Amino acid sequence: MDIKPILAALRHHKGGTALIALQIALTLAIVCNALFIIQQRLDRVGRPSGVQESDLFVIQNDWAQKLAPAEADARMRADLQTLRQLGSVQDASASNSFPLHGAGWDNFVRMSPDQVKMTTDSAIFFADEHTLATLGTRLAAGRNFRADEIGSQTGNDPLHARQVIISDGLARTLFPHGSALGKTIYTSNDQSPSTVIGITGTLQSHLTELWAQPYAYNAVLVPARLTGDSTFYLVRARPGQLVDAMRQAQDALYAQSRMRIIPADGGVMTFAQARQRAYDADYGMAILMGIISAVLLVITAAGIVGLTSFWVGQRRKQIGVRRALGARQRDILGYFLTENLLITLGGLLLGVVLAVALNLWLVIRLGSQPMSPLYLAGGVLLLLLLGQGAVLAPALKASRVPPVEATRSV
Amino acid sequence: MLKMTHLSKVYRTEVVETYALRDFNIDVKEGEFVAVTGPSGSGKTTFLTIAGLLETFTGGHYHLDGIEVSQLNDNARSKIRNEKIGFIFQAFNLIPDLNVYDNVEVPLRYRGMKGAERKQRIMDALERVGLASRAKHYPAELSGGQQQRVAIARALAGSPRLLLADEPTGNLDTQMARGVMELLEEIHREGATIVMVTHDPELAARAQRNVHIIDGQVVDLSEEPRFHAQNARVADA
Repeated sequence: MDIKPILAALRHHKGGTALIALQIALTLAIVCNALFIIQQRLDRVGRPSGVQESDLFVIQNDWAQKLAPAEADARMRADLQTLRQLGSVQDASASNSFPLHGAGWDNFVRMSPDQVKMTTDSAIFFADEHTLATLGTRLAAGRNFRADEIGSQTGNDPLHARQVIISDGLARTLFPHGSALGKTIYTSNDQSPSTVIGITGTLQSHLTELWAQPYAYNAVLVPARLTGDSTFYLVRARPGQLVDAMRQAQDALYAQSRMRIIPADGGVMTFAQARQRAYDADYGMAILMGIISAVLLVITAAGIVGLTSFWVGQRRKQIGVRRALGARQRDILGYFLTENLLITLGGLLLGVVLAVALNLWLVIRLGSQPMSPLYLAGGVLLLLLLGQGAVLAPALKASRVPPVEATRSV
Repeated sequence: MLKMTHLSKVYRTEVVETYALRDFNIDVKEGEFVAVTGPSGSGKTTFLTIAGLLETFTGGHYHLDGIEVSQLNDNARSKIRNEKIGFIFQAFNLIPDLNVYDNVEVPLRYRGMKGAERKQRIMDALERVGLASRAKHYPAELSGGQQQRVAIARALAGSPRLLLADEPTGNLDTQMARGVMELLEEIHREGATIVMVTHDPELAARAQRNVHIIDGQVVDLSEEPRFHAQNARVADA
């Protein structure tokens, strides 16, 4: 198909041609970036937490009255004993937070007491000798806490942890060239040292926000129960007994003491529900971007169908003349497909520039990551197929215009 | 060159059948210049569209340059239109988005002709009609007579065996019409076969032979030119 006469004809339809090319360009720019954002969000949502999530649930326990630290600690220990004795429960532990929770403690981690600038940031999880088993998180090196190492403290007390277990991610950040085991780190402002006695496998922080991406796998397990107004009981049900364990655990805690509040909404939730909550915004963003992309693609396809249909109607006699002069049906079909291809390619050329510019803006202004060229290539291919698919019906209609149309007066 | 025997063309709707051509017979020899006349609705244009393979017929036979065309598929008909037939329409039917050069090039491109040969043929054809200097002009920039000359150049560029002209001077004033007619006569003298549909008895009289169509059937008046002229005037009136 010769493109010279098609280009010559397009020069006489600059308005429609420019509009549809611009629409294609904007669609490419937005769809590429939207797909990239969707992929980023799905990647985040799909990250491993390092926790065996099935059969794990969380109880939010708020004390109904202000308790003295010793009283709160005693009640927590009693609650944990009650939970561990349930037939449907495999293990239980108490903590201030848990992976993916969103809220919790995160402290700066330093390598020396007088270090001014932090080395990194890390989640602080209060833990005991049951925590790793309850989470289903494996110990990659070192040892677990012993029962006699577990203390208690309030939120106002400085963090004094002589021994800590840290996540594999944090260990690699702090000691990229050697083992962290036995090394000293500083997680508190009062310069008290902590010795690393164990390193877990993958363990995710409670932080899920985009800004916390570099710290997402940094966690320090501190051997203490945090006494305060509320606590989280992490409970691992025996395999297949999750539903029973959730009901029995709540009943058992209330039987132990009514002086507590377990919120009706989300007070007892599976880890799967916690994960869903953690990534609600990501799912929402992915769905929104998906809808925007789909709507834009539909509008663009409709624009191409509309414009080509209009042109076919407008050029019906001209098509008849071409047929009279020897054009076959496939020549007419090819003409409109080529014409649309040229417009689409023009739009895509502009679209690639716009897509890169939009991504740069997102990188500079919103801290997004640079988009892989694969998204551009995918977007270009998608819009090429969409364009040719959209023009097919009106182009086929054009090819069926009979040659006798040339003799009919307009 | 062009032979139709017992040819019929019927337009059917749910309630009525209309015969545009009925038992239609015509034989145009190679090199002839035939004028086809007849009153409005007599079937002249239907004859021309069938002769030009622009539409199919219902019954009978049509041989064009020795080929029985009734069984040809759309592609084969397109090829014959492109290679053997040149069309000159009353409304010129130039493509407004293309300049003169590109308009003349249209049928040659569909023939798959190489660029150099196309260029040669286009310039020859434009020289022939006296419009080589207007090659880059668009149809809207030309007079009616010039546009029709471009249409003739487009028809000639492909060196067709048969030239079909549908009221070629119908949209032109007398002077321009005369010029176009002289061009057609010149082309005929060089050996082209021309079939021209016209309402104009003066133009018809300049053809070698006149064929009169009434109610979809042929009345050959070639032996009675005076009667033809009178009849044509009556029909025209």
